[in-house]
Amino acid sequence: MTAQFVHLLEQLKRRTLRMASLVEDILMESCEAVFSLDDKLAVRTIHRDNDVDSEEVEIEVQTIRLMALYQPVGCDLRLLCTILKVNNDLERIADCAVNISERARHLDPLVLQGHRDDLVAMASMVQDMLHRAVEAYGAQAEQQARDVQSSDAAVDAFYAQIIRAIVDDAPGHPDHMAGHLDVLSIAKNLERIADHATNIAEDVVFLATGRIVRHDTI
Amino acid sequence: MTETMVNLSTSDTLADSAGVKIQPHVSCHDFSVFYGDFEAVKKARMEVERNRVTAIIGPSGCGKSTLLRAMNRMNDFVPGARAKGKMCYRGQNIYSSDCDPVELRRRIGMVFQKPNPFPKSIYRNVAWAPKLNGYRGNIDDLVEHSLRQAALWEEVKNELDKSALALSGGQQQRLCIARAVAMQPEVLLMDEPCSALDPIATSRIEDLIHELKTRYTVILVTHNMQQAARVSDFTAFMYMGELVEFGETDLIFTSPKQERTQDYITGRFG
Repeated sequence: MTAQFVHLLEQLKRRTLRMASLVEDILMESCEAVFSLDDKLAVRTIHRDNDVDSEEVEIEVQTIRLMALYQPVGCDLRLLCTILKVNNDLERIADCAVNISERARHLDPLVLQGHRDDLVAMASMVQDMLHRAVEAYGAQAEQQARDVQSSDAAVDAFYAQIIRAIVDDAPGHPDHMAGHLDVLSIAKNLERIADHATNIAEDVVFLATGRIVRHDTI
Repeated sequence: MTETMVNLSTSDTLADSAGVKIQPHVSCHDFSVFYGDFEAVKKARMEVERNRVTAIIGPSGCGKSTLLRAMNRMNDFVPGARAKGKMCYRGQNIYSSDCDPVELRRRIGMVFQKPNPFPKSIYRNVAWAPKLNGYRGNIDDLVEHSLRQAALWEEVKNELDKSALALSGGQQQRLCIARAVAMQPEVLLMDEPCSALDPIATSRIEDLIHELKTRYTVILVTHNMQQAARVSDFTAFMYMGELVEFGETDLIFTSPKQERTQDYITGRFG
């Protein structure tokens, strides 16, 4: 079984990395659509999600096929389990990016201006987290993955800061309410993406060591 | 030997002074087996728990069958074979001078790779050894009980006088298990018990192993890693005579500690 299986496994891993690259690209474009208020770019990003969806299904089918045909164990089993989970997280990240693009299409420029610095910093941090999580997955690097995990708190702090800013601004500017909801949604989706990137990083720790590190309390 | 083993009956299930560790049912300590100058098993260390299934895996010639056969001194029959170190059953070294190997083999039964029923009836296959050993109970009950434990009773209860050689391969292997069980052992050694069987018969034996462990300690040599993963609680990996890794099967097949184990179970070598 070995040579053929190892070849197919490697192919599948590369395929997930290509999908990760596509998702990173979609996220970058959706953030760009927000900050440049570019409707065409937002629409294009939304359509690219279809590519991610079909790729997600293909990767899942291939993973299940390899599990059924080769009944892998050890590091091979861990890799296939990780592929399944990373695949799922990547698809969800693309969904979040679509949500961000949809908000970008009717975002109030005036409200955006008030939160731009926080959102830019948060988006940049989230993109960086995702990139590092994907790199850690490619290299099966435990330490790199653990570094990603530790970044999640900073993203949460940005999210809390944006909520506070909205709460402070809302009473004096009821006409900003719709814009604030859009900003809040964008921030929430970025925060969710950071969570998915953290999930990927935690899966990499499992892949590298066999240890499940998802919950601090266990 | 008999006295030694009977005396052990009160101590073998007691916890140690810390109240935690239970004495292993079978264990080896720096145990080696030589065929002439060739060291087939090299200073193996392993502790087999009572009422658990332990699988020994490894490539051909790694010493796994030699180690298994050493557990009831079957290697005594191999010219030039000698053992060094300790192999213990209920804490007693079975290679000490006061151990009776015949009594030992009654306590530690064996099922071989190829089903080897006697050319006699099903009934006599099971009844023969207990009778020879002076079994004083109801022999009919013993035969039925043993065949039931081997999950064969329902299939043969109306044809106990039929020749065992007329049974299918899977049935013959279960008959051999019934034959081993009839001697009321505590430990069952199985040397690739399914390698000559088709997948359905293999599946029945695997189910049977699950049931047998409630009464017996089972130690199994297998080439089939999926089988080891399916049926065993603990797995030992051997390579070139060395016991490389021993641990819980779940961990051995998901996160082995040793690179050689990883390479073997994932098919990188062997």
